Amino acid sequence: MRAAGVSHGFNQLLDSVVRIDVREVAFDQGTRRFEASIGSGVLLSADGLVLTNAHVVGPRAIDINITLPNLERVEAKLVGWDHWTDLALVRLDHESVRRRGLKFAHAEFGDSDKLYPGETVYAVGTPYGLTRTVTRGIISNTSRYFEDDRGVDGYETGSFNTWLQTDAAINPGNSGGPLVIEDGKVMGVTSRGYLGANNLGFAIPANTAKRIVAGLVRDGAITRSYIGIVPRDLQDLESFYSLALNTGMLIDSVDPGSPAARGGLRGGDVLLAVDGRAVDGRFPEQLPPIQNLIASHPVGSALRLTIKRGGTSFETIVTTERLESTMGEEWALEHWGLSVRKVSRAYAREHQLPDASGVLVIGVRPGFPAEVAGLLPGDVVTRINQRPVGSLEVIKSAYAAYGVKPQPTLFEAERDRRVSLYILKP
Amino acid sequence: MIRSVRISPLCFLFGAAALWLAPLRGAPALPALWAPRVKSVVAVEYYTETESDRRPTIAYGTAVDNRGTIILPSSAVDARVPPKQLQQFKVYLPGDPTGYDGTYLGQDVFTGCHYVRADPKLAAQLTPVTAWAAPAGTPAPAMADEVWGIGLRNKDEDFAPYILVSHIAIVQSLPQRTAIAQQEVAGPGLPVFNRAGFLIGIAASSFGQTYLEFSRLERAGTPVMLVDLEESSAFVLADEIVPYFGRVPQNIYGRPLAWLGAYGLEPMDREVASFLRLSAQSGAVVSEVLEDSPAEKAGMKDHDIILAIDGQPLPRFRPYRIVTDYVEREIERRKPGDVMTLTVLRGSDRVELKAPLGEEPKLIREAERKYFERLGFTVREFVYGDAVARRIKTGEASGVVISYVKPNGPAAIAGAGVEDWVKEIDGVAVKSFSEAAARLAAIEADSGRGEFVLLVSHGSDTSILRVKLR
Repeated sequence: MRAAGVSHGFNQLLDSVVRIDVREVAFDQGTRRFEASIGSGVLLSADGLVLTNAHVVGPRAIDINITLPNLERVEAKLVGWDHWTDLALVRLDHESVRRRGLKFAHAEFGDSDKLYPGETVYAVGTPYGLTRTVTRGIISNTSRYFEDDRGVDGYETGSFNTWLQTDAAINPGNSGGPLVIEDGKVMGVTSRGYLGANNLGFAIPANTAKRIVAGLVRDGAITRSYIGIVPRDLQDLESFYSLALNTGMLIDSVDPGSPAARGGLRGGDVLLAVDGRAVDGRFPEQLPPIQNLIASHPVGSALRLTIKRGGTSFETIVTTERLESTMGEEWALEHWGLSVRKVSRAYAREHQLPDASGVLVIGVRPGFPAEVAGLLPGDVVTRINQRPVGSLEVIKSAYAAYGVKPQPTLFEAERDRRVSLYILKP
Repeated sequence: MIRSVRISPLCFLFGAAALWLAPLRGAPALPALWAPRVKSVVAVEYYTETESDRRPTIAYGTAVDNRGTIILPSSAVDARVPPKQLQQFKVYLPGDPTGYDGTYLGQDVFTGCHYVRADPKLAAQLTPVTAWAAPAGTPAPAMADEVWGIGLRNKDEDFAPYILVSHIAIVQSLPQRTAIAQQEVAGPGLPVFNRAGFLIGIAASSFGQTYLEFSRLERAGTPVMLVDLEESSAFVLADEIVPYFGRVPQNIYGRPLAWLGAYGLEPMDREVASFLRLSAQSGAVVSEVLEDSPAEKAGMKDHDIILAIDGQPLPRFRPYRIVTDYVEREIERRKPGDVMTLTVLRGSDRVELKAPLGEEPKLIREAERKYFERLGFTVREFVYGDAVARRIKTGEASGVVISYVKPNGPAAIAGAGVEDWVKEIDGVAVKSFSEAAARLAAIEADSGRGEFVLLVSHGSDTSILRVKLR
């Protein structure tokens, strides 16, 4: 075995790991604030594509500054992000790179399916701002299941991929940096660690990242299909459902109003096959690939699902919708001291709202009109001056009118299904 | 005030002194008034019997007739407890450790009073509080009046009676006319008298004084809040409650109960009222109109604002939120079948609705329930309120609801929680309570059973619970 530092590939890798300084806007607390953070990234191409985490760079980023291995700093723009896999892609400002004649290397992906538990890996990144820090560990698990419905700045993550688990030391600031093997091939993108635990770090596998990178370069976003089932591993329940082992996936619940609900599915059903292709969801880490199988279909696809319910099996056709986050677009109406977020279809379903109209109050500023009137975070504003709030534009235009001529404005909002009226006064 | 004193401007100072002394000269000594009035009050003890324990509760009551009928304040019984769990009522005379049997009669929803009927042996020893009713023409209680009442010590002191004396600080509409005194004036649910010994009200239950106690040792520590639950400093005026003493419930559920079906009434503050040009009155927003309710049949819509009942505009209250209690009391005061005329504001239109009130659908506390000791949980009937809470059509209502989970029992270990909605047992849909109870009873009786599976739903999630019995 050769020492890592000697490998040509590893040296090249070190020359392609960057520090990312991000300034982003936050809309909470009734005002517009700016926050700064530091992360890591890896250069993937000669034209300056940098791969990092979605929780490092997202749509709220205002300024993205990349520090190259030679310590030159250069601006970058977001190409796209995908919070589900916690990946984001930015591109160095081409003009600046050309004018200044900046040079950098770029890394290459390896085949993460070939990793084995116990294999030596290295994490490279900028923990706590300490540039080009290399830590070493092993692959602890090649397909860890981990899902978090608020995991990336409030956005969902982990439903469609498993994670590499490593004991290489990972600290805040490592996020977005590569996890590599001795030849410098990128096997994963370091993403998160268990707080308070010793060396339980997670990375997105390179084979997932390759797919996401291609999609982001092509479309700037990853579009997925949604049918509205919450899966659960069958582990030990096969006998109860009279199933052979390694057959089918349990549907734990069905989102109300979703395509699956309209297709007649319900919690307790077992999904046996998608378009005739058998699924096996015996263990938790087998669930993301099945979810991904469904999500990879184009939006609007008619999926033929084979379902087992009690002693009978049947087939049903479910037409997919576009997958949405529960998080909607955010905005701050500063003179009102009011921060809002569009209610998404997913949020409305999760909170059993009658529909996805309205905007959610996410922050109020003490002493400002919204707070004085009695609005609280969690309220859903349904009408302004008796006009239904179907989109953020409605509240923005009411706010613009208020800006021209400040006068009392009537808000109707729901809190725990109770509807109240509020007057926002200048 | 019992007598008025004429004061000439010339002897103002002397007159003021006379005013101060006048009540004392005119009225009998308090101990003489107190002793016979103590015969109108009792202490009541009962047990709440749940699956896992028996909890005693002590409340104070006032005798309202010659038959031993006793009223307790609304707070005497937790509104969520099914009345069938209220057991072993005992009635005690002040200062006497003998407990007499009592029967729980139910709650009158309009006054909020719970009714208990005491054993005839005790009834003979009680004086109905109506014996102290003020004669017609007695001025209404007013600010600065001296008032007094009776308090009772704890059970270990044989509920020994004592006197409490105070002055009225303010009289408010909440929405009942309620006097707030400077200090505690009576045990909650016990009568309050004026200086002449006439009944002027019944002490309210939610007005115990609160105190913050700070630690001397832990200087930055959180203070402890102490609430005086045994004495109240406010009382509902007699006119608001004495005329309704006769509303003795016909059954423990207090039925019939009038029902409109306007869910989530919310008050409007002064700013909203004046924006809607309602400065002289108030309104109540209807959050949702319930399915198949009298309100729905009368044409009421979600988010209508109720402005008037039977042509009477809703009054303005301080605090403004009292208006919703006012509307609810207007419904509770009526009977099923009575027609309620409502004026509502819808957008910018005023709409008049005529709603014949219905009978309140079965309430959760009335639902049938059954406890399964070996399975470790109680299921109860799925009632109308469950459909409302889960936002489903009543036509889709089926299954049962878990109302109790035994700590560390099989159901608890499987992850069952209170309010989980059981839709399937062992993969078979649950149609009715009786069917579910029979199936669970069969599982419980089958000692060979190692496990069973429930499909439950909680909020918007459904999950499979695998209950292991061994």
